[in-house]
Amino acid sequence: MQIRGLLAGMSLAYTASVVAPPSIGAQIGVQRERNAPSVYAITNAKIVTVAGPAIDRGTIVVRNGVIAAVGASVAVPGDARVIDGSGLTVYPGLIDANSSIGIARETPAGAGNPAAGRGGRGAGGRGGTPSQQGAPAGAPNSLHPIGLQPELTAVDLVRPDADAFAGPQSAGITATQSAPATGIFRGLGAVVNLGGSSAQAMIVKAPVAEHIGFTPQRGGGYPNSLLGVFSSLRQMLLDAQHYAAEQAAYAKNPRGMHRPELDPSLEALQPVLSRQMPVVMEASSQREIERALDLAKEFNIHPIIAGGEEADKVAARLKAENVPVLISLNFPRRPQASADADPEPIRVLRARVEAPKLAGKLAQAGVKFAFEDGGMTNWADFLANVGRTAEGGLSAEQSVRALTLSPAEIFGVGDRLGTIETGKIANLTLTRGDLFTGHVTRVFVDGNPIEVHAPANANGAASVAGGTWTITVTSDEGEKSVTAALQQVGDQLRGTIQGALGSSQISNGSVSPSGEVQFSASVTLSAGTEEARFAGTITGNVMRGTMSIVGHPQGTFIGTRPDSAQGGRGRRPLEGSAPTAFRIGELT
Amino acid sequence: MKRFLIAALTVGAAAASAQQPAATTKVGPTLIKNATILTVTKGKLENADILLMNGKIAQIGKNLSAPAGAQVIDATGKYVMPGIIDPHSHTMIDAVNEGSLSVTSMVRIHDVLNPTDVNIYRQLAGGVTSINVLHGSANTIGGQNAVVKLKWGRPVEDMIFKAAPPGIKFALGENVTRKNSQTAAQAQGLPLRYPATRMGQEEVLRDAFTRARDYKATWDDYNARVAKGEKGLVPPEHDLELDPLVEVLEGKRFVHAHSYRADEMLMLLNVAKEFGFTVKTLQHGLEGYKIASEIAQAGTGLSTFADEWSYKVEAYDAIPYNVAILMRHGVVATVNSDSDERARRLNIDAAKMMRYGGLTEDEALKTITYNGAVQLGVQDHVGSLEVGKDADVVIWSGDPLSVYSSAETTFIDGEIFFDKKKDLAMRDQMAKERAALEAADRGRRTTPVIP
Repeated sequence: MQIRGLLAGMSLAYTASVVAPPSIGAQIGVQRERNAPSVYAITNAKIVTVAGPAIDRGTIVVRNGVIAAVGASVAVPGDARVIDGSGLTVYPGLIDANSSIGIARETPAGAGNPAAGRGGRGAGGRGGTPSQQGAPAGAPNSLHPIGLQPELTAVDLVRPDADAFAGPQSAGITATQSAPATGIFRGLGAVVNLGGSSAQAMIVKAPVAEHIGFTPQRGGGYPNSLLGVFSSLRQMLLDAQHYAAEQAAYAKNPRGMHRPELDPSLEALQPVLSRQMPVVMEASSQREIERALDLAKEFNIHPIIAGGEEADKVAARLKAENVPVLISLNFPRRPQASADADPEPIRVLRARVEAPKLAGKLAQAGVKFAFEDGGMTNWADFLANVGRTAEGGLSAEQSVRALTLSPAEIFGVGDRLGTIETGKIANLTLTRGDLFTGHVTRVFVDGNPIEVHAPANANGAASVAGGTWTITVTSDEGEKSVTAALQQVGDQLRGTIQGALGSSQISNGSVSPSGEVQFSASVTLSAGTEEARFAGTITGNVMRGTMSIVGHPQGTFIGTRPDSAQGGRGRRPLEGSAPTAFRIGELT
Repeated sequence: MKRFLIAALTVGAAAASAQQPAATTKVGPTLIKNATILTVTKGKLENADILLMNGKIAQIGKNLSAPAGAQVIDATGKYVMPGIIDPHSHTMIDAVNEGSLSVTSMVRIHDVLNPTDVNIYRQLAGGVTSINVLHGSANTIGGQNAVVKLKWGRPVEDMIFKAAPPGIKFALGENVTRKNSQTAAQAQGLPLRYPATRMGQEEVLRDAFTRARDYKATWDDYNARVAKGEKGLVPPEHDLELDPLVEVLEGKRFVHAHSYRADEMLMLLNVAKEFGFTVKTLQHGLEGYKIASEIAQAGTGLSTFADEWSYKVEAYDAIPYNVAILMRHGVVATVNSDSDERARRLNIDAAKMMRYGGLTEDEALKTITYNGAVQLGVQDHVGSLEVGKDADVVIWSGDPLSVYSSAETTFIDGEIFFDKKKDLAMRDQMAKERAALEAADRGRRTTPVIP
């Protein structure tokens, strides 16, 4: 049953992936790749193999994309192009354990079912419509709305994109575990190499994990709150169990039984329910992590926590249930607030100071972890923040493992990635000095050298919504001023508001790439505490929109932030697909 | 703004460091001596003692002796009353409304409880120990409630009031028809949602319960066939929307219905009668006094504001004598907050009920204690000071029905979750922590300047 389900999913995936013909540019890329030498020897380098002790001065031979030899006294083959590695350190190619690098925003085809998206299984309540304005199209022929399509797969969505890869490569990243970045059931992630002439060539292994975000749907359809997010997840998992029972009954004896409808979404959930497919769950705060673990327990699914900002508070449970954590390296930054902003809540301050210590605490507690980019746009932060994990007592060896072998093991590719050993895929990261105090000079991806350049936007593109905003709300209670400290995490928005409407953490927040923003907050009005829904649009450093409260006339708000505001994650340069070109520059 | 700052630097600040008390330990006994004890159900006892042991009220009387290892609190001149119960709260949740559909019985407040909400601590400081956390009023049939004990610092599962039967929120009237936000929805290009009138609300209810009956019949049929020994049957689908409505039909789940006008309340009572269930409470019910006999006859309770009215059209006919009139007609009536802020002074709202309608002291106290316990089905556990009940007990500096009194120590299940003296000490601690954090944070890079 499960195997059949998987096969059905894969065949769908391949049908869709041949839709886009390779561009001329990509073909040139292929040509260049064929003409390039495919044998390299890096000599006289310090080699951090991760598989064993470091080699102070040694040679690595790479042939046809695979590590052919490594050691202190390895002979350099006659056909090899030699790279003098004096003063260089070579690491296994770094792996970003959770990302959407390489995933195109627009999917090739499909729309999802406009009639889907009801609350329960039956006739459902009426009036809601599923819609996610401005969101990517979904899986073709899905019976479920966009955002609740677990069958969506990175295999169909990855695109070679040298421009998008330049930033991560500058941080030494050679492979990622990538998945669609939006929705509730987001789809299946794949381990992809950040290089290759085609989408197919990039894939190291797929699928490796289902992904769940807990972001409510935009556009007013069900579920538009965290309440409904959990109910819809639960209903779909129950439906998947029922689907399996029905399909099994029909397979056993089809005669006289009405043929159960094929549902690719419920099909995709079968390996999840049988624990064969782990599920990456986006969860940062203690309660988010606990909720994710509770859901996983309820359906006996195999969770991996992503983000994990407060995972140390749940460490005992994570250890006991053997749940790995993908720690976001996008540590919160001190916002530049305007002078009249309220002082930060202590928990925000505490979170910022504690963030670098998390990895050390998890190591101490025996929780398995790897590092992920957390949606950062400023790639200079990636290794700088790995370095800061020393504040929590994490050793350099532990840091390197969390960037190499640990993520490879978590996603089942430890047999081909994550160490420098003979026979493994030749993904390498070369640094002058070490990884934390030096700089990345070059990476090898699938045995191809790529010169690393600090990307033009090294300072980081402005986050769409992150930062400290001064917001004036005009409602039936007059004009009120609040300060909103917002942090953007992927398509989610977190943070606090405080001021004349009371203080609360925001919830159900999301941001679209075009700057449509929405979030809820508890506000204190003269008549009581109400849930206010803010919906608006950000243009530059101005945010405008409406505030809706059940039972009140609609209010409006306008917010501004200081020019330099950048609270965290921003949009990723995913559009445009320049062909992957391998720059074989002069040797360093 | 300034007022907020002061609040944040006092109660809020101290609360944050109280977030991580030691893991649950066995609580030792506590003897509170020489207090004026307001039992609520058994009168007022002067110069009396109360012994809390193993999470329960072990003894109430004069000159009790302290068992070995007991903490003894001299409460001379002070008052002891049961923990306040707020029958209508939206505290400690990360989402209030799933307003996308007219029926969202599948959503659960339990899923979105946030045990770190500082309002929990602030309400403990107002003598509140249990709250009924409800879904919002955006749709006719809303989500499932959670009855919670305010055990600040504990994980969610420790806070759930396990003896409380499950409930669900319904809502009638203007908030559902969304008179005010229909235009907003249109302006944003969002879909309009049925129903737009009170007629439609009645139809939504009737339709939902008709579907629930059919669903129940499907399952009953399946279970009967399994019981008869039929093999190879595929069970019917689980419908998370209809499961809780079947529980309502079976009398296993309480309905708490947001409502204002007499006509809509009568409509709901009639629909409930038609489908054979009892509405446990009408929430707000500002016009309840007009139909007090009908509400009493239906066996329904009512939970309202002490003196809030005219903030919208359907609230124009409210009077502050509502509670008194309802009580005199035999309705179990309570006063609720519906507000993180008012929840901290429910004792004052109870006192107003003596001013409006002449309730006795015990009757006034019942509106925020015992009657709330009845409305939530936990009157055998909390709501009054009686031997054997949960030790949810508050020591007040003076008579809790006076504006000059404040809660000093709040116990839940015999354990202290708020103590005014400790709170003062924690404020110093918090100031030190903030200074240390700021020192550590200074010198870090701020966000980069974009040229």
